[in-house]
Amino acid sequence: MSTTYQVGETMNNIVVETLDLNLVDLRRAIQDEYAEVALHPQQGFHFHTGRPLARMLGYAEEWLVGIPETSIESFAGTGNPFSLGKLKPGERVVDVGSGAGIDSLIAAKMGGPTGQVIGVDMTPAMLNKARQAAAEAKLANVEFREGYAEALPVPDSWADVVISNGVLNLMPDKAAALAEMARVLKPSGRLQLGDILVQKAMPDSAKRKIDLWTG
Amino acid sequence: MAGFVDFEITWRADVFSGAPQSSSAANYGTVGINFRARKSRDEAEWATALAALNCEVPA
Repeated sequence: MSTTYQVGETMNNIVVETLDLNLVDLRRAIQDEYAEVALHPQQGFHFHTGRPLARMLGYAEEWLVGIPETSIESFAGTGNPFSLGKLKPGERVVDVGSGAGIDSLIAAKMGGPTGQVIGVDMTPAMLNKARQAAAEAKLANVEFREGYAEALPVPDSWADVVISNGVLNLMPDKAAALAEMARVLKPSGRLQLGDILVQKAMPDSAKRKIDLWTG
Repeated sequence: MAGFVDFEITWRADVFSGAPQSSSAANYGTVGINFRARKSRDEAEWATALAALNCEVPA
C-alpha cells in the first residue's frame, strides 16, 4: 500500500513538496528502531543516547534527580524543550513522542501535584518503560497513552504546553502533526520542541528511502 | 482555523558526531535544534500573522 503525503503547504511563495511513502513500512521501521533503544539501550546507535546525551543537550543535573535509570538510559532526544521556557506548577503538558518518558517525568516534577502530563508514543516497548518509570518515581500526575502524533489521544484545547524531542523529523506529514499539536493546545498555549534540521537540500530519492528516515 | 505565531529557533548544534554508529547526518549538515512558538490567541491574531508572512525558499 502506498500513501501520498504532502509536506509543507502552499502559502504565499512556499513550495509544496509531495512524497510517496508507504506509511505502514515507515512506522514499522521507526518502531523497530526505537524498540531496540528501549530494550537494548547499551548496544549503541547512530545517535547518542542516555545520560551522556542529556548532558550534551544541557539537561540540568537537578532535573534528573528522581528520574529512574530505565527512563534515562533510553533517552534519544535531539534538543532540550525545557530550555525554551519554564514549566509552571499546575500546568498541563502533552509530550508528543514521549519514548521512555524522561521528558514527561521531568515535566511532571516541574508541574507539581496540581500539574498533569500526558505522554503519547506509538512504540509499545517505550510505553512499557515509561509507565514502569512513572510508577518507580511515584509520579501520579503523568500518564502514557499509545497513539500517533498525527492523531493525538488528547482533547481539544487541553494543554498549556506541548513538548516534543526528536520526533517531528520522523513524520512525513509534519503539517498534520503540528495541526494536532495546535488542536490540543489552549489559545496562546506554548510549543516547545527539540528536533533536527538539515542544512543541505535532500533529493527526493533520499526522502523516499525509509532507512534514511531512521539512520 | 488557527496556527502558530512567534516562531523562533533558539539553539542549534551538532548532536550526532561521535555517536557509536555512523549515520547519514553529516551528509546533509543535520543539526539538533530547539524551537518554540505559540498557538495564536484567536483567529484575528492568526489572520494578522498570516498576512504578514514573508518566507524565502532556498533554491
